[in-house]
Parts: sequence; C-alpha cells; structure tokens
Amino acid sequence: MAENTAQGGIISKEDKPLTVTQQTISEAMLPKGVKDFLPIKAAKIEQLKQTLHEVFHRWAFRPIIPPSLEFLHVLEKGLGEGLREKTFRFDDRQDGKLVAFSPDITPQVARIVATRMQHAPLPQRLCYSGQVLRHAEQQAGKDREIFQAGVELIGLAGPEADAEMIAMAVECLQALGAEEFTIDIGQVEFFRGVMADLPLSPEQARQVQCAIGRKDNSGLVELLQGLNLDDRDRQAILALPRLFGGREVLERAEKAVVNDRSRQALDNLRQVLEVLEVYGVEKHITFDLGELRGVDYHTGITFQGFLSGLGQAVCSGGRYDNLTARYGLPAPATGFAFNLLHLLSAFDKQLEKSSAKYADVLIFQAGSNKQPAQRAAQALRQQGYSVARDIIERQLEDSIQYAHKMNYRFVMVVGGPDDTVRLIRLADGMEQQIPYRSLLTEGFCL
Amino acid sequence: MSDFITFALPKGRIMQDSMELFGKIGITCPEMAGDSRKLVFENRESKFRFMAVRATDVPTYVEYGCADIGVVGKDTLLEQGKDLYEPLDLKFGYCRLVVAEPKALLEEEDPSSWSNIRVATKYPNVTERYFAARGVQVELIKLYGSIELAPLVGLAERIVDLVSTGATLRDNDMVEVETIAEITSRLVVNRASLKTKHQRISRIIADLEEVIGNERTISG
Repeated sequence: MAENTAQGGIISKEDKPLTVTQQTISEAMLPKGVKDFLPIKAAKIEQLKQTLHEVFHRWAFRPIIPPSLEFLHVLEKGLGEGLREKTFRFDDRQDGKLVAFSPDITPQVARIVATRMQHAPLPQRLCYSGQVLRHAEQQAGKDREIFQAGVELIGLAGPEADAEMIAMAVECLQALGAEEFTIDIGQVEFFRGVMADLPLSPEQARQVQCAIGRKDNSGLVELLQGLNLDDRDRQAILALPRLFGGREVLERAEKAVVNDRSRQALDNLRQVLEVLEVYGVEKHITFDLGELRGVDYHTGITFQGFLSGLGQAVCSGGRYDNLTARYGLPAPATGFAFNLLHLLSAFDKQLEKSSAKYADVLIFQAGSNKQPAQRAAQALRQQGYSVARDIIERQLEDSIQYAHKMNYRFVMVVGGPDDTVRLIRLADGMEQQIPYRSLLTEGFCL
Repeated sequence: MSDFITFALPKGRIMQDSMELFGKIGITCPEMAGDSRKLVFENRESKFRFMAVRATDVPTYVEYGCADIGVVGKDTLLEQGKDLYEPLDLKFGYCRLVVAEPKALLEEEDPSSWSNIRVATKYPNVTERYFAARGVQVELIKLYGSIELAPLVGLAERIVDLVSTGATLRDNDMVEVETIAEITSRLVVNRASLKTKHQRISRIIADLEEVIGNERTISG
C-alpha cells in the first residue's frame, strides 16, 4: 500500500497532462493480486534474492529452474487439496490438454529430481527463485503472484537435515539484517499420533483439526463433548492448542501424550534442537505442536519464520518424505522457501540505502561532436562504474535536474579531448576539474 | 514499537466489557477515561496500546498484524473466516444467530420442507454455508442493518440475524425458526504475534482463562 502512494507520487510529478492520467486510472490495467514493480522496488527484490542465494551457495546448494507451465495432471500429483483449488489452469490450444501455472515450486523440484535426475547421486541440494500463481481471496488485498526463493534437500532423512534447513533459514534472516525473529517449529507426526485410531468420522476429524489450527479451545471442548472418547485421548487433544512457546513445550507435550508415534515426534524435535544448539541458533526457536498449517504433503518437522512486527510468516517449510515417490522415486526430503514480497515489506527501509543510488555517472556533452563523451563513458564502464550518456540535446541544468531525479551520483560535463572535465557531485553540488585524458587511463577513480 | 501489545477492540459496549475483564488481570488504560474521541490509547508504563475500531474490522486489523490481539463476536469470525487464532471464549456479548420469519408464515408451512428460499441477512457467507449443509437453495440479499424490515416490505420472506432478547423480532411479529449458532465474544490473536511475543501473550491468555473460569463457577 505504501508502495502505491510512493510510486503514484512519482508518476504525478512527471506526467504533466493530468487528464490523460485520469483516463488511464478509470479502468484497471492489471488483474487483481499482481503488481508492476518499478525500478526502486525491483532493485530491492533483486537484492533480497541475491542475499538469499549467497547463503544458499554457502551451504552448497545448486540452482535449478523449473518451468512456469506444467501439465495439470502431472502437477496435481504433487499438490494437496488446498493448493489444487488455488491453481490457475486453462487448456493448451496446441494439444487440448489442461495446463497450469504452478502454485508451488516444491512439487516441481520433486518431479524433476524423480524423473530427470533419477540417476544423480543423493543427497541433492537444490535452490531456486521464481514466481508462482495462486488464486486468493478477493478484495483482501492479497497477492496472487508470489515471489519465492527456496531450497530443497532431497535424499536425507535424519534430524540433521531438518536442522540444516532451520539453521539456513536463521542464517538467511541474519544475512538480511533481521534482529528480532522467530523460527517456529511444528511436527505433524505429533498431531497424527494423537489423532490416529480415534473413533472419528472424516468430517469430525476435519472439524477437530480446524479447531486445533485456530487454537480454539472452547470450540474444541464443544466438539469433543458429543464424541465417545476415553479421557486420555480427550486430554491429549485438548492439550494441542496450548502446546506452543519455548522449549518447555517439549516437556509439557511429553506429559500430555502417551502414544508412541507422538513420542517419536518429540524425540525427533529434541534431536533437531540439539543440532541447532551446535549452530548456536536456539534462541530464535519456538515450538508449536498445534500448528497444522503445513502444506499437506508434509510428513514431519514443519517450520515458519516470523519477524517481530510483521503480521505474516516470511518463510515456511518442512519435511516431505512422500512427495518424490508420487513421481516414481521414493526419497526422503526437506526444504523451505522465503516469500520475497513479505520480506520486502519487512526490510523496505533497510534496503532503501543500497538501492537508492542506482547509477554513478551521467555524461553530458554540448556541441555536435559527442565522441569524447562516448569514449569517456566506455572507459568508466571498463573501470566498473555504471554510466549513462545523456544523449538528448538539452541545457546542462536540465540534465542535472534529470540526474537528481534518477538518483545519479555524478554528472560529468565533457568538452574537447584537450579540455578538462567538470565532475559535479549531486549530493552537495561540489565540483572538480579533471584532465580529460586521465579518465582514459587505467586505475582512474571517481 | 514492537515491544507493545496492541489490542483492537470494537467501539461501544464490548469495549467496556473487555476493559473491565482486562482490568481483572491488571491490564488497564487510564488514558481511555479521558478524551473519548481518540481512536488509539496507550499505557506506556505497561506497554499496552488499544485501538477502537468497528466490530467487523477487528479481524482485519488483527490478521494484518496492526493489532496483536482483538475482541470480536463469533458471528463476525464465522462470516469472515479470517486466518486467526481464537484461543478464548470471553463469555460475554452472548446472543444467537437465528433464522426467523413472520409468525403468520410459519403457521402455514413446515420449515423442514424448504427447497429454495430467499433470505435477507448481514451474514451471507454463514447463511449460505448453513443452508447448503441443510440441502436448501438460498437466494441471498445482503443488507447492512434493520434486517427485520425485509419480510415486512416483501424484500425476503426469511431473515438470518442476531437475537439477544428476541424483543425486536416480537415487535415485528416474527418468530425464530432455527438457531444457526450461539455467539459470544472471542479473544483473537495474530499468528505472527503469538509466535514472536509468545511469553506476554501466553500469559494474557492464561490469566484471562483463569478469571473467566472462576467467574463461571461462581455464577453458575
């Protein structure tokens, strides 16, 4: 929202004929839930992506690029019901088959590993960034195009692999400059252990799951009243909505359940925590055993990252041991992805500094011979500076004004090859005279 | 900024009831007693902030994280289906969401034989789900107030609305046909807040739960 006003402000300053602007605004130019990102925002998104990929690279993950279109029937093998409903689909005029824009990259990576890379050695450490499309609630101001950057670790079952994902997520957030944040860990097997073998119809089980997901204790009590459950099971279910917080949750959970499956899930969480302590990230960890929001292909540890003061999770992930098997290659796997637009709203201000000064020099030359300016531009680019030629015929002061608006650091006024060059620093208007020939020598510094 | 706990409370009666309840667990806001036109009140010492908003906007403020905690009627939660935690039934603001129709109409028909009906309501989503589960097709007319007027002027034969004492229905010669849900005020919590401020928020939930539990045993 802040973005619209900021960019709207820039447009209205530059577009003089107001009537034209009004005409274009009266009709929406884009479908709901997608956005144009203008240079300033786009630079920030690129920077987020780059920071994340540097961390991915440090953990030895290799990039992979899945396509944006898939056959619906192939994609659907890897999608739970929730995402299936949110998939954009249409028919392919070339062969009449239904195709879809992927709503999630993980099933695509699972497909690629299980088919194209079936003979590659395991484990595979893969990373990606890309956009996915999902239908979203209308008028809730929600994005339908989601920018993701994530990793998948395929072929490893142990708790160390889960800990690797969580430690990486922490490292990513630290690399982005986050100070206060939480990685909240859940374990779907704990819940499944409590729910297994209960005399509930699928509909009743669904309602119980919903109430637990909302942490709605009173609703849960009401639901269970009508059901024939023994006291131990009832107590275990009722404990779920309150099993969140620091590591003490694991002890409380130990007391609340007796079934083996849930206890194994707790053991697994403890083992993961032990590794996280080695990495020294445990202070960022919370637990929530009533968290059932994972995408439904998850089979063990799940986690989400939350920044203090931001209403939505910035990353989410977890273990999915059955997904690649749906494409023919059974392999344990785990992974996570960041939502770049949520990160953008959290780090908008911090990214401001680095993305604001987007170019170094604008080169101005009056007169008809532009060759000295062109040579200077080339020389500076070879030194690694970002340089543009003004090209347009206008007064120097107009060029300076333009350079200000576009956030250049310097305007350079070039005369003949034997003259000196005026270098104007835009931040404070300071001027420097430099011999033209020195620009062309190696090792020249602005 | 972020070390505050922010509450979104619906203006009016529920806000008073909420503050009275919060007072019992030591959450107070002396500033609220003064200028009543303000929309945001703070207790800087104990780091609580309170926003007065429209009841139907409470879930939105909490979902986006502008408020960590909110108080809102279960009717609004059912209607909006937002992604929120609702850990506590606060037990006040009791009323029922019912289907009602003119007395004269009920005398000459059996509601169990409805196959398609027209219903006026402030709660189109709840109404649609309820009748879909009953196998009845509904034509919905969304209104924003004075729902009881609809049958009187022939806009819709039936209504779905909140009833507390039933006086408004009686005054307009209408009767309840079915109860869709019992409604009370709920404490709702933003998902990220529950994780990032879990110590303070768990404490608030536990303290409130104790006070509400005690009251119930005393009064009932």
